Amino acid sequence: MGNCNCGSEPDIVIPGSNNNVDTTLLVPVRGKIIKIVEETVDTKTFHISTMDDKKPFDPQPGQLGMLSLPGVGEGMFSVTNKGENHIEMSIKNVGELTDELHDAEEGQEVGIRGPYGNGFPLDYCKGKDILFIGGGIGLAPVRSLIMHCIRNRADFGKLTVIYGARSKGDLTFKEDLFKNWPQVPNMELNVTIDRAEEGWDGHVGFVPSYVEELKPKPQVTVLCGPPVMIKFTLPALQKMGFADKDIITTLEMRMKCGVGKCGRCNIGSKYICLDGPVFTLEQLGELPQEY
Amino acid sequence: MLVIQKTKIKEILDTLAKEYKVIVPAKDGDTSKFIPYGDNTEMLLEENVQLPPKDVFFPQTEKMYKFKSKKNTMEIENLPIEGGKQLIFGIRSCDMKSLDCLDQVFLTKGTDEFYKEKRDKTALIALSCTKPKETCFCTSMGLDPQKAVGADVQAYDLGDKIGFEAITEQGKKIIASIEGQLSEESVVVPKFGEFKINVDVEGVPEKLKGMFESPMWDDISRKCLNCGACTYVCPTCHCFDISQEVRGEDGVKYRCWDSCMFGEYTQMAGGHNPRPTKKERVRNRFMHKLNYFVERYNMLLCTGCGRCINVCPVNMDITAIIKQVKEAE
Repeated sequence: MGNCNCGSEPDIVIPGSNNNVDTTLLVPVRGKIIKIVEETVDTKTFHISTMDDKKPFDPQPGQLGMLSLPGVGEGMFSVTNKGENHIEMSIKNVGELTDELHDAEEGQEVGIRGPYGNGFPLDYCKGKDILFIGGGIGLAPVRSLIMHCIRNRADFGKLTVIYGARSKGDLTFKEDLFKNWPQVPNMELNVTIDRAEEGWDGHVGFVPSYVEELKPKPQVTVLCGPPVMIKFTLPALQKMGFADKDIITTLEMRMKCGVGKCGRCNIGSKYICLDGPVFTLEQLGELPQEY
Repeated sequence: MLVIQKTKIKEILDTLAKEYKVIVPAKDGDTSKFIPYGDNTEMLLEENVQLPPKDVFFPQTEKMYKFKSKKNTMEIENLPIEGGKQLIFGIRSCDMKSLDCLDQVFLTKGTDEFYKEKRDKTALIALSCTKPKETCFCTSMGLDPQKAVGADVQAYDLGDKIGFEAITEQGKKIIASIEGQLSEESVVVPKFGEFKINVDVEGVPEKLKGMFESPMWDDISRKCLNCGACTYVCPTCHCFDISQEVRGEDGVKYRCWDSCMFGEYTQMAGGHNPRPTKKERVRNRFMHKLNYFVERYNMLLCTGCGRCINVCPVNMDITAIIKQVKEAE
């Protein structure tokens, strides 16, 4: 799992070895927000470039980046996608830093450092059908792999997405869900909301029960969402015959350094910023239940 | 062995001070710690000091970079590196071992330049121990109180004299610079005294792996106040927070010591805390020292200096916990 390099992608960049990152691991490069997409009332996607319009770093799907607003603070976020000259982070307004970020406008300068973490096991996923399960903002890290698969469509089998949010308004990445992804060959989209509402003629119900209803055949599965979704989806998948090594999730912990030194993001002897954030259910079984 | 009378030790420190900023163990108000050597320094060579030398390499608060922000712009400016060569005289085996532990954290899997800069410019003259304190247990952690790991020079406490033995190339240069003030004598290094605390850590890291859910942790953590004093005096505790100080347009990003004993340490913005009570925090601290660090770096994150035992207001004792693990079924 640690080495998730894929032939079509450059090797994982070891934090600090990237030419764009200062040799002192903890010092960010100066960047700017070039575009802001309003996903929901409390979630926005920020496109970030360096001052000379380059990609701040080249993240693998599932890797993390540390974003800072001058004078406010730093926060670790999953990189939900990358473009030629930018990276994207989808951020929910939950605290001090994220609140200030939501007030920021395009052109706002930021500090950015990364990439951190292991990322998704691309080699393992290659050539296989993949089921993506997301709940709420949990689609953000999962999307980084979906976008990778779409960019390298021939390298992967059927892509199936099961995604749910509390309401229609809480669905993130609507542009992808309803406009872009339906055009991708051999890709199935299943979107649900928790409760029926006017103007929604799609599926209604929680993600775990939707998964049981759809009865996907056992395959590599990448899931991320609120703890309650994970809690009820995992046993459902196991019951349907999904192997623990094929159930992949991504975790979050409080982080300060991102490079395995500040100490706080450990689960047992593993640091989420270095050894994670991506783990299979099989690997999680080896770790203490403290996350 | 090259030796000097203890009463004349200041003479060689004065010589070394011409080339290095010399740092020595000394009394400092109500406490004792490593401080820059000066004319009025009250050196403490009879026993180890109360605070470890980790702040020489990893300051309690350390500025990382400056930034300037106007409206929506931000400029980042690296800070100049301060100071030249320095030398610690009189660092003990336990604290030398702690540098080995800190090196694993800060110099492997990505180099922490702030730490490396200080580590690289600091020469180390270790001093042997002859009389263990009440709370010392370095031998139980596999250390030799008279032979420090990683020292440039090993000095020996010979009673009224101090003997010197160069270990590294840099150590040879240090000895060469003070050789004229030393005299060659044949000496016998006195055996160190008896340790009051002896504990067998053999097999404990492996056994702890299966004891995460043990009810023992409820019991152990009950009296802990989560005051964090143990982490503050620990030579190997290295957790840090990153924050900033802002005045108008100017800001400084700094890091400062943090403690796994504090609830905010793992508190996430959304409200979730994976280690919400003192049980999880205490368990994490001891698991880190005795199991997680061993799994990661193949060494214990405890050097037996005994400072945490000495400072704990409720008499928490890591050696008692090791015994408890050992005896658990």
